[in-house]
Amino acid sequence: MIDLLGITKTYTTGAQSLQVLKGVDLAVETGELVAIMGSSGSGKSTLLNILGLLDGYDEGMYRLDGKNMAQLTERRAAELRREMLGFVFQSFNLIGFKSAAENVALPLYYQKVPRKERLRRSHELLERVGLLEWADHLPSQMSGGQKQRVAIARALAAQPRVILADEPTGALDSTTSEEVMVLLKELNGDGMTMVVVTHEAEIAAECQRTIRLRDGLVETGAHV
Amino acid sequence: MFDRDAWLEVAHNVLAHPLRTTLTGISVALGIFILVVMQGLGYGLQNGVEGQFADDAVNSIWVEGGRTQLAYRGHQPNRPIKLTNADVAGLTTQADTVPASSRRIRLWGAEIVWENPNGENRGGGFGVRGVDPAHIDLERSVLLSGRYINGRDVTESRKVAVVGPNIVRDLFRDVDPLGAFIRINAVVFQVVGTFEDPGSRWENRVAYIPFSTAQQLYRTDGGVDQVLYSTGDMATDATVAQSDRMRSWLKDVKAVHPDDSRGVEVDNNNEEYAMYASIFDGIRLFIWGIGLMTLLAGAVGVANILAIGVKERTKEIGVRKALGATNGSIVSLVVMESTVLMLVSGSLGLMLAVGLLTTVAPLADHEYFQNPQVDHRIALFALVVLVLVGLASGLGPALRAVAIRPVEALRDE
Repeated sequence: MIDLLGITKTYTTGAQSLQVLKGVDLAVETGELVAIMGSSGSGKSTLLNILGLLDGYDEGMYRLDGKNMAQLTERRAAELRREMLGFVFQSFNLIGFKSAAENVALPLYYQKVPRKERLRRSHELLERVGLLEWADHLPSQMSGGQKQRVAIARALAAQPRVILADEPTGALDSTTSEEVMVLLKELNGDGMTMVVVTHEAEIAAECQRTIRLRDGLVETGAHV
Repeated sequence: MFDRDAWLEVAHNVLAHPLRTTLTGISVALGIFILVVMQGLGYGLQNGVEGQFADDAVNSIWVEGGRTQLAYRGHQPNRPIKLTNADVAGLTTQADTVPASSRRIRLWGAEIVWENPNGENRGGGFGVRGVDPAHIDLERSVLLSGRYINGRDVTESRKVAVVGPNIVRDLFRDVDPLGAFIRINAVVFQVVGTFEDPGSRWENRVAYIPFSTAQQLYRTDGGVDQVLYSTGDMATDATVAQSDRMRSWLKDVKAVHPDDSRGVEVDNNNEEYAMYASIFDGIRLFIWGIGLMTLLAGAVGVANILAIGVKERTKEIGVRKALGATNGSIVSLVVMESTVLMLVSGSLGLMLAVGLLTTVAPLADHEYFQNPQVDHRIALFALVVLVLVGLASGLGPALRAVAIRPVEALRDE
């Protein structure tokens, strides 16, 4: 599903330039649940940006579902994000002034799905994550675990091929962390490919494989 | 851009932030309100000043004889200067063009009497003026009924009169004066018209009769009391040159010392009006200055609030991008929001200002302050400026926000 070959990325700020990724090779198969681990500064978030088509790379090759992701225009990248990728964030990042159902429906808004259809599907997805009765609540009225489940429902809304989760349990206590991981594993069990960025060994342990990043290179776990 | 969903999204976002919306709205509304009200008051002032010139045509030169102060060419001072038909003809040759002119004979206190159908005499002391047909425009009189003095009245020296509202009121009351016969100093005239002069109380107490009739009756020496020349659309400088030329020509003909300021009077209304106009231009500039500063202050405030708003929304923008929004759709969302906000609150300020001016305007009645009014072009201009400022101020931060890489924006630091 995901193939990276010799990916490099350098950030230049003023006179200073910093090579964050120095030639990353890795592969994620369809239906895998993979953890990416690494200390801060290892290049995790840069890698996630590139995987998520939110940032470009300098050299190397990135193939997502067999398609080359080189030289995407901004518009095409947005289109591919809509169709292929679902995001789950550490701090949930629900939009505070929108209800749970509206948050889940937002990706469908960008896919130009009609309003009624959007709300019908968002209710289905909330039911899937067990929060149907919370559909009309604002994020501020929900617990952390509930918010992350809404965020997962939102990531699923556009029926993506891959879910990218950035520290999905980083803001949760261990009980709710476990609940969220159970949900993610269930979705993986349904065939969803998942990449989870984490620094918690217990979370990584629940994944099928761990890719370790160190100083901009993959240390272990690049391939199955 | 114009689909229903996008507008619903805009409406939702605007309404979801009542404090931000209200603050932005107030500063926009206030900016427009102050600008429009200031301009309205400025117009009131302008109308007041222009009202001071409503009596006579501003593009006119008025000539009359005076009394000399200096001895000259063997003449003693304190000599009255009287114009004649020949002087008028000569003066006219000094003009560049004469779009219209009128001679005048002035009688200050004439007795005018009307005998009503019951045989009662009603009368009083009024002014009488012998005039040419163009006098109506030079004096800025408004014909109310009948007709004014015409060319045949003058050539045939008819005994006809056009009477002012005070004469109508005092003599005729409710009776229609048209066709009635009145006696002016015992000479019978027929009333052929009525007029009023909005700029002068005095003129409303006057009866106009043909110039030739007046000259024959009251200036048997062939004298002319006054000549009025229109200067048409001549530039002020040219009219000043013309009035100077007329003055020196007349002084020479009438043997008045060149330095004598009382011997002949050649008054150029253009000059006086130009002076007031320049004073008014200054006032207008001042008002514009204040208005634009106010608008600018409002605009800066709005830009500030919008910039903060977008900054607050960096995360939201990051989420939208991650969910598949293009940069363009985010920028257009933010810009549409700020534009809608500006338009709605700007219109509100505009309505308040128009409301204030239209309710208070009729109450304001002062010599130098009349009819404050809204200039729709200025209101529109202000609204356009605010919308442009809204676009610009929303655009900058929105462009900066979409440039941030979402995963960083969305991370908890």
